[in-house]
This record gives sequence, C-alpha cells and structure tokens, in this order.
Amino acid sequence: METLILMILGIVVAPVLGGLVSGIDRRVTARLQSRFGPPILQPFYDVAKLFGKVKVINNFWQVFCAWVYLIAAALSVGLLFAQSDLLLIFFVQAIGAVFLVMGGLASPSPFSQIGAQRELIQVLTYEPLIILVFASIFMVTGSFRIDEILNYDQPLLAKLPLMFIVLGYALTIKLRKSPFDFSTSHHAHQEIVKGVLTDYSGPYLGIIEIAHWYETIFILGICALFWHTSLVGVVVLLATTYFAEILIDNTMARMTWRWMLKYVWSVGLAMSFVNLIWLHAG
Amino acid sequence: MLPMMLALVILLPLMAALGCYFLRVSTIRTMIVLGTGVCIAATSLALFGQGSFTYSPGTILGISWDSLVTLADFALLFVILYYAFKLKNQLIKVFAVLQIIPLAVFELFFVDHAAEVPAFYADSLSLIMVAIISIIGSLICFFAIPYMKTHEEHLHLVKSRQPRFFFYLVLFLGAMNGLVLSNNILWLYFFFEVTTFCSFMLIAHDDTEIAVKNATRALWMNSLGGVAFVFGMIWAYSVTGSLSIQAILEAGPMDGAMLVPLGLLCLAGFTKAAQIPFQSWLLGAMVAPTPVSALLHSSTMVKAGVYIVLRLAPAYAGTFLSEGIALCGAFTFLACAAIAVSQSNGKKILAYSTISNLGLIICCAGINTTWAITAAIILIIFHAASKALLFLCVGTIEHGIGSRDIEDMRGLYLKMPRTAIITIVGILTMVLPPFGVLLGKWMAIESASGDLFVIVMLSLGSAISLVFWARWAGMLLTGPLREKVPAESQNILTRFTLTVLAAATVVVSLFSPVIYTGLIEPMVGKTYEITGGVFSSPIGVFAVYPIFIILAAAFIYAWIDTKKSGNIQNGASYMCGANVKEPGVQSFIGPMNVPVEIKASNYYLEAFFGEEKLTMWVNFVGLALIVLMLGGAL
Amino acid sequence: MLKKFIDNSRAKSPWIMHFDCGSCNGCDIEVLACLTPMYDVERFGVVNVGNPKHADVLLVTGTVNPRNAKVLRNIYDQMPDPKGVIAIGACGLSGGIFRECYNVLGGIDKVIPVDIYVPGCPAKPEAIIDGVVAALAKFEGLKG
Repeated sequence: METLILMILGIVVAPVLGGLVSGIDRRVTARLQSRFGPPILQPFYDVAKLFGKVKVINNFWQVFCAWVYLIAAALSVGLLFAQSDLLLIFFVQAIGAVFLVMGGLASPSPFSQIGAQRELIQVLTYEPLIILVFASIFMVTGSFRIDEILNYDQPLLAKLPLMFIVLGYALTIKLRKSPFDFSTSHHAHQEIVKGVLTDYSGPYLGIIEIAHWYETIFILGICALFWHTSLVGVVVLLATTYFAEILIDNTMARMTWRWMLKYVWSVGLAMSFVNLIWLHAG
Repeated sequence: MLPMMLALVILLPLMAALGCYFLRVSTIRTMIVLGTGVCIAATSLALFGQGSFTYSPGTILGISWDSLVTLADFALLFVILYYAFKLKNQLIKVFAVLQIIPLAVFELFFVDHAAEVPAFYADSLSLIMVAIISIIGSLICFFAIPYMKTHEEHLHLVKSRQPRFFFYLVLFLGAMNGLVLSNNILWLYFFFEVTTFCSFMLIAHDDTEIAVKNATRALWMNSLGGVAFVFGMIWAYSVTGSLSIQAILEAGPMDGAMLVPLGLLCLAGFTKAAQIPFQSWLLGAMVAPTPVSALLHSSTMVKAGVYIVLRLAPAYAGTFLSEGIALCGAFTFLACAAIAVSQSNGKKILAYSTISNLGLIICCAGINTTWAITAAIILIIFHAASKALLFLCVGTIEHGIGSRDIEDMRGLYLKMPRTAIITIVGILTMVLPPFGVLLGKWMAIESASGDLFVIVMLSLGSAISLVFWARWAGMLLTGPLREKVPAESQNILTRFTLTVLAAATVVVSLFSPVIYTGLIEPMVGKTYEITGGVFSSPIGVFAVYPIFIILAAAFIYAWIDTKKSGNIQNGASYMCGANVKEPGVQSFIGPMNVPVEIKASNYYLEAFFGEEKLTMWVNFVGLALIVLMLGGAL
Repeated sequence: MLKKFIDNSRAKSPWIMHFDCGSCNGCDIEVLACLTPMYDVERFGVVNVGNPKHADVLLVTGTVNPRNAKVLRNIYDQMPDPKGVIAIGACGLSGGIFRECYNVLGGIDKVIPVDIYVPGCPAKPEAIIDGVVAALAKFEGLKG
C-alpha cells in the first residue's frame, strides 16, 4: 500500500518538479547569457498552449507512440519513487525511448528520420554507461533494489566518484544538452529543424514535453542516490550537478554523433574500469 | 503411459517423416503434418504431468534399443562420409573418419555393454525443451505448408521437392525431442548427429551453388563439434566409467581430470550454437527456406548446443572452465549484436541476433549461479518463441514484397498491415519489459554484476541490440497517414501460425511467474520470491503483473486515442515548405521545378560495426577465448 | 479552469517562426536582434523555432514572388491553428521599392492573411516586439 502511495505521489509530483527544473534551467541559462529570461513557470505555459492547439498529424502511429512514451516515462518515475529495482526502472524507461524513436521513424520527413537515427545512437551511447553505473552501485551495496540501497550507511559518492561523472555524461545526453544535442534540442536551439520531434505538433508535442520532464526527474533521482544519506547532501549534489550541466550546455559547441560515440564510450568505459578496480582493490 | 508418450514425441515424427516422403500427394502430406503437429504438441504438454522421470525402453523384437541406436549411428556417419566424398570436401572426410574410428574402438573395446544405463532422463529443463520443440516446431511446420507452395511457385520447379523437405523437417522434430530427453550419452550423440545431418540437408534444399556451399560449411563445422563430442565422451567415460549423464552430474562439481572432457563437450555445444568463431555456418544457413531458419537455426536446433552446455553446468560449477564459458558467451553476445547493427538483410539481422542471444544463454550457464541458470532457462523459452515468430514474419514479408532487405520494408504497414504489426509485436517482445526475453536479460545482468568483464560486455551488447531492433520496428511504420489501410490477404495457415505465435509470445510472458514457480524453481532451487506476479530477491525486483497491467492499459488508451485521431487534420510532413501537394506523394519541389522524391535510410555505422571490419578480429578473439577456456581446463 | 489556463498561456508563449521571402536581410537582422540580450524577447516566452508545425506566429520579411509564394503558403498551412501572421518591413507590407518588378507579386497579404503590419525599412526591433505583442491580442481575443 505504501509502495502504491509513493508511486502515485511520484507520478503526480514529478512533472511539476520537472517543469520547474526546466523553467529554472531556462532562467539560469538566460542569466548566463546576460539576458533576463522567461518566468520560472514558462514551461507550463508552453505545454498548456500546446494542448490548446489544433491537432495535426502526419501518421497516426505518432499519436500512439507519443502516449506510450509518456506513460512509460511516468511509470519509470513511479517505480523509482516506489523504490523498485534500478535495472527494471531503466528498462521501463527504455520502452519510452524506443517508442519515441518509432514515432520519429513513422513520419517520412527526412528531418524526423535523421533525428530518430541520431536518437538511437544517443540511446546506444548512454545505455551501457547507465547499466554500468547500476552494476557498480550493486557492487558497493549488494543490491539493485532502491530500498536496500537506501539502507547503505554512507554516501555512494565516496566509493564511486568516477561513476558519478560517468552518470553525468548520461545525464547530459538525456537532458539534450550541448555538446550532445543532435537528435533534437531544447529551448530555442535548433538542429535538423527539430530532429526527431519535427513532425510532432500541438498536444502531441506537449505530451512529449511532459514525458521529458519525467525523464529529467528520473535521471536526477538516480543522481540523488549518490548522496542518499542526507537531504542537504542530495540538494547540494543535485544543484551542483545541474548547474554544471547548464554551464556545459552554454560553453560547448554541438559535436557530431561519431565523436560522441567514440568519446563517451572510451572515457566512460575507462572511468568505469578504474572505479570498479578501485572497488575490487579496496 | 510414459513409453507411449515418449514414442509419440520421438518416433511419431519419424513415421510421419516417412509418410511425407513416400505418400507424394500434397493433401495427404498436409494432413500428416497437421496431425503429427497437434499430436506431439499435446503430448509435450501432457509430459509435464509426468514430472521428472528416468526410463529405459528395453528391447524390441529381441534386439536392444541400445544396439539399434549404435547401428543407426554408424549408418549415419557413413552417410555423412558418403556426402563428404560426393562433395569432395577433405575436412568433412577427416572429421567423419575421426568420429567413426574412435567411436568403433570405443564401442568395441571400452564400453561395458552389460552396465545398465537409463536411456532417458527428463527434468524440467528437458520437458521445457520438448514443449518448445513440439509446440513451436509444429507451428513452424504448419507455416511451412503454404510457404513451400509459394516458394516452389517462385522457383518454377517441374517436380516438387516438398516430400524431401518435409521428411527432414518432421524427422528433425523427433530427433530434437530425442536429444533433449536422452540420458545415455551415446544416444545423445546419435541425436546430435541426426540434427547435424537434417540441418545439412535442409540448408542444401534449394540446390543452388550457394546453398550447397553453405550446407557444406555447416556440415564440416558441426562435424568438428561431433569430433569434439566423441573425444569428450570417451574421455569422460574413462574418468567416470559411466555413460549416464545423470551419473556424471551427480558426482558434483568436478576438478582436474574431468574438466577437459567437459570442455570438449561444451565445445561441441559451441559449434552447434554457432558461437564465435563458428558463427559463419549459421549465417550461411540463411539461404535455406525461411521455415528451416525459424525451426533449426533459431528456435530449436541451435538450442541443442546451448542445452548441452546448460545440462553439464552443475559439473563444472565454480571452475575456471565455467568462467571461460561465461567470457566466451558474453563476448559472442556483444560481438554479434555489434555486427548485426551494420546489417540490412533482415534474415541476417535475425541470425546475428540469434547467435548473440545464444551467447547470452551460454554466458548464464558459465556464470553458473542458481540465478543465472534461471535466467538461461527463461531466455531459452522466450527467445525461441519470439525469434521463431520473427523469422516467419520475414518469410511472409519476403513473399509479399520480394525482398528481405529491411530498407525495402520501410512503410510496410501501408502494404501488409497485419504482418507489419505482428513483426513489431515480435520485436517488442525481444527488447522491452515486461516480456520474457527482457526478464531473462534482466536476471542475466543482475547475476553477472559481480563480474567486471562480463557485465561490461553484457551492458554494451544489450544497448547495441536495442538499436537494430528499435529502428526496424520504427521503419515498418514509416509513411504518410492514410484514412484506411487496405486489409491484407493471407493464407489461412500463415495467418493462424503468425497470430498464435504472436499471441503466445505475449501471453506466455504474462505467465512467466507461473512458469517459474511451476517448472524452474523445482529444478534449480529457489532464487526468487514470487508475490502477486512480482519476482523479488534480495538483489532485485521485477514486477511482471503490475507492469503488464499498466502497459496494457497504456496501449489500449493510446490505441483508442489513435483511433480517434482518424478524422483530425492530416498534415503533410515538413519539407521546408516545398512539398509536392499530391496525396500520397512524398516529394519536394527541387531544382528546375522538378519533383524530387525523398529518401531516407538507416545509419548502419559501418565505420564502427562493419561486418568485414569486425569479423576477422572477432573470430580471432573468440578463438583465443576458447583456447583460454580449454587451456585453463587442462 | 484548465481551459482558462490554456487560454492565458497562449498569450504567454508565442513561438515564432521567421520566413524570409526575399528580403535584403535588413529586416531579418532586426528580427534576430530581438532575441539578443539587448531586447531579450524570451522574457515574454517568445521562442524562435525553425518548424512551422511548432510555431504560433509567422514573421515574414521581404517581397513575395511566384516561386516562394508556394513555399510561404505551404508553411502557413502547416502551422496548426490558432496562429498569427506578422508582415515586417516595407517589402513585406506592399512590395516596397520592388513593388513594380516583373517578378514581384506585392505584399505578403497577396498570398496569406496578415494580422499585423510592422512598417519600416528596416523595421526596428522595438516595432517588431510591439507587433508580436499586438498579435497576441488576437490570441487574447480567443478567450471566452
């Protein structure tokens, strides 16, 4: 019962938090560019407006894929709040990722097609890293279950500092921040028109935006596990991490997917190996 | 009752095969295949009622079955030798002789024929295998009936070669059932050779130059496995003094002397399961008609290799050999998934993905904890169903559009909506939770997490396989929306098998907790606590029922909303405003006012995962790992 | 309440799409100037998008000729309702000094309905922002 309440709480609270994070993100970005920036609630206005627009579609499978993407993202956050299994949550999240790509491929528009292919490469890049992060958490705590992990008595960050950086790469890709924002991009950035989202419009774009908020919370939730022992620690860790993301977004140029695949895999795998060998040695 | 059932699952297919071969009327053949299929499928389910059993058939007409099998074995080896001479292939000759002579010496001088060895032994693993072979195998045989008819129409044959085809296809079902039920290692070897031979004949079925070439390769590689099997068998006998596999296993984890024969037997399993560096025979086998690929080369025969490795798992638990097997399996999983990304031939993608998944199962056997063994069995069940379905879909698509290239399947939904959706169902059951294959993968990854190298390879491999599956599923849907896609006409048997298999992959996944408590738990021991359809253990949770229910609701809701969208405004796709405004046309106005059709194609990442680029290195590493595995055993 | 929030949000989140019909780039630079820290239209929720399917307001600069009229029309059609169009600069309003050219059709309103006309050669960023705000009044008018 408690699990169910936590799950529903997660599903209700996450989009609100995710929207706020997105709003703060835009605001801070604007300040970094010496602009004033939109109101914090701007993402909510955007999505509300999108829901008020006329529905136009190009292939009805897009509607289907958009909904499944949203529900899978919501479910993964629900499971995260319900303290389920890390790997399971990640695989549920992957349902969403797959359907987003399928929706993109459903449209014959070349922009959407290229965007979907690039999105797949982004998935390819971050997925092994996240699984390795989970495996390393298992090696420290002896479990993939979040409830068991929360019982561990010291911050994981102390044991897995490099894995946190590896997770940071995944976070950057997942949040669609430069230099990794080439399947589609957020705010006013443009790449191959709007990449995988090109042919989604109106309410369906709104659905995808909400799903993206869920995903933001999902990945920030994983980050929070690295300092689960204190609430202050969580807040400091998340604030620092997210600010670093914004800083990276504003200082980096967009790169190519080839570069991303080579760079992130080599650096990510190398760091994982080093950190896991530390664990074995320690 | 038991002898009757065993006769039904092993001998009935043999009879039926003979019937197919000699009664050359297509109606009779259809009836025989349908009847046999229904019979063995029902029997395989009834066998579950028996639980695990040991059984020896005794004698027939005064001759012991053991001698009959031995006789048949030599006959088969000489037939293979005959084909070796016919094909003028030195390798096969050498391998056949290397099997005949040691086996003869072994039979004549070593084996104590007086010793009582139970011929059959079945536990849950065998019974699950029997069910997979009998049910999925039969469905594939049903599918083959209309398929072969169309196939021969395409080839414009004067004389139908179907009797021969169905002879081997149906015979194979019996041989495979025999293989998984055998306890006497000589029997196991006999059935092992029969499957090799059936596979050879079926790959060569179309009798084209390439078919014969690939069949020859399959035969020599599998004969190499046969040689490894014979030597492993003899060596094992010299150490333990028993032909009974159960007797070998009961001795518990082995050390020193026994590891080499176990390693050799596993090597035989590797060749059968087309593990790197033996993958090329399975890729070549894709020239065979699609039912063959579905039956032999994805859902059942290659599982024989996996079965042997898994069957022997308790004997090498905790040894270096076990670690070596895990590494080999994990490497195959990663390497074949990677090469699959660079492929655009649908059957080749399925072949690589099959090898990759077999690698995962073998890796689980190598990890050798109860969790990993559970994972392996779950994977065997669900992979067989999903992969058989996908092969049959590709076969149907190939007959529909005349190509098996996935680029040609772009927008298949507009032409063959039913097949396209079933293909997508098959693909989703391969990669997404809460379906069985992913459940197995989840168990595998969780049980591998202590092992640094294995977990790295598994995580990379699982991400890579997502890429080629997701894009294939997506591109089937590509296309402009049409109000109403015309319905697709399908042969009744094709439609029946595809629908049943698709429904089965989904429904059986739903029952995975039941399968676990009913079949797997009694065999491997308690690994997961099941409450309300949720697998839980101290290290992980997998909520099958809840996720199933929520996703089912999600799919239904999404579908309702999709249906409602039928009458909403239909926008052309974005082409920088230069669309050619004709319904159904996907072109933009290009230079000189000429319409240019848009074309999109997948990223195949040749630079990273190209087949030519990787194969040599991958084979090299695979060989090195096998040497490491066997060398460590010595 | 939800409907009211949506109606309010329309005015708070006008995503603009900028289409250059053949302008001398003067007006285009001024349009982009609106996004710079100096004017920062994102304060009002304005985002510059590159895709008509995501846009609420179409900013058009330059003269229309038979070749790009088709494209203009197509882009306008691909914008989902409710939407607004703002013609910018002398050329966009009437064809400007090119009005009499053999290949010029005239102003934007010859091809698609225009809601707001922003004059100038080039139009000043302040004027463009004023035009966008005026176009929002159209969305405000949808309330009710």
